[in-house]
Amino acid sequence: MIKVKNLHKKFGGLTVLNGIDEHIEQGEVVVVIGPSGSGKSTFLRCLNLLETVTEGEIYVDDELITDPRVNVNRIRQKMGMVFQQFNLFPHLTIMENITLAPVLLKKMTKAEAVRKGQELLARVNLSEKAEAYPAQLSGGQKQRVAIARALAMDPEIMLFDEPTSALDPEMVGEVLDVMKDLAKSGMTMVIVTHEMGFAREVASRVLFIDQGIVMESGTPEEVFCSPKNERTRNFLSKVL
Amino acid sequence: MAEWASNFCDLFYKCFIKEDRYKLLISGIGVTIKVSLLAIVIGILIGMLIALCNLSRKKVLRLIGGVYTDIIRGTPSVTQLMIIYFVIFASVDLDKWIIAAIAFGVNSGAYVSEIIRAGIMSIDKGQTEAGRSLGLGAYHTMTRIVIPQAVKNIFPALCNEFIVLIKETAIVGYVGLMDIQKAGDFIKSATFIAFMPLIGTAVIYYVLIKLLTLLLGRIEARLRRADAR
Repeated sequence: MIKVKNLHKKFGGLTVLNGIDEHIEQGEVVVVIGPSGSGKSTFLRCLNLLETVTEGEIYVDDELITDPRVNVNRIRQKMGMVFQQFNLFPHLTIMENITLAPVLLKKMTKAEAVRKGQELLARVNLSEKAEAYPAQLSGGQKQRVAIARALAMDPEIMLFDEPTSALDPEMVGEVLDVMKDLAKSGMTMVIVTHEMGFAREVASRVLFIDQGIVMESGTPEEVFCSPKNERTRNFLSKVL
Repeated sequence: MAEWASNFCDLFYKCFIKEDRYKLLISGIGVTIKVSLLAIVIGILIGMLIALCNLSRKKVLRLIGGVYTDIIRGTPSVTQLMIIYFVIFASVDLDKWIIAAIAFGVNSGAYVSEIIRAGIMSIDKGQTEAGRSLGLGAYHTMTRIVIPQAVKNIFPALCNEFIVLIKETAIVGYVGLMDIQKAGDFIKSATFIAFMPLIGTAVIYYVLIKLLTLLLGRIEARLRRADAR
């Protein structure tokens, strides 16, 4: 579903990604872990072209999306993104947050989008908040709305960039529960996170990224219980 | 005390009542308001255009925006008014007040563009990223997500610009328009009295701007109230 070949990303003179080759299959839940500054967020942002790739190729459904002639907006409609800082639109109600893109992009009529919005809000247990504004929600609620908003576009892939890092500890669980449900439904997901317990439980595969390359890749079992790489062992000893 | 009061009444009579001089001031108020209102509209339109140029990815547009702002900020508004009136519109048959309004609009546009640019840049980059990540194009992201939020941040600075603009129009006398300032000046020359007409002029400007400030304050309060929802 996603093929990454020799991906490089430089910010000025700083090399953040230094040749990543990855293959993500449909239905996989890939959890990306690694120390801060390792390039894991940049890797995720490259996947939906929020960062321009310096070198290398990314294919989504066998289409080369790093080609400059490709229609970026059409590619992004296939991929939902959830941000660390939620990035809900504060001037719109929760329902408007969810229906804005599907209606503007003519994917659905207003009525269809609202119906879909109600379904999604029910799914993240926030039906009663449809007419509220983001400022009236807790962090955990905001992030669940952000997930619903991304799902409203019927994406094939969901990308999560540290979705629980800005949350108070007692709200992490409710967001992770929504993500677990999503994983169970067969959604292809790529998740950057520091929640090792979650990674262990939900991931079909764990990537350990450090210094801009994939140092280790395997099932949660393999990576957490018998890491082969010295750096992985070192990292895990600090966070587990 | 009584002497002072009767003296004051005498001056007031000579300056404003005698020979219907108050009518000059009243028509002056009309000129000031006409010129200011049209100039504000022109200023906003030019300001939006130049702000878009300055925020554009195209180098030529950024250059145009930069040069415009640079020239307008770097020259006095009296000079700009006179150049636009006596040079650029010299052979164009337009009402004086419209030409003056264009001159003030052109001037205000440069400042408004900076206010708008700052307002747009004040919106967190995450908002744009969220819009784009949903597949929205640059246009929809700007008009549906960034600009509606920027308007609230821009409003106070924009009000300030309107107030500056209204006071700035006090130089239209240079191109022969009889606004409040010019009317006061005219009365001063006709009566050889400086105190009363000039203080009168100041009071009229003050009241005009006070009324505008109150109105804008109400509008802003309404915008903020929407925030607290």
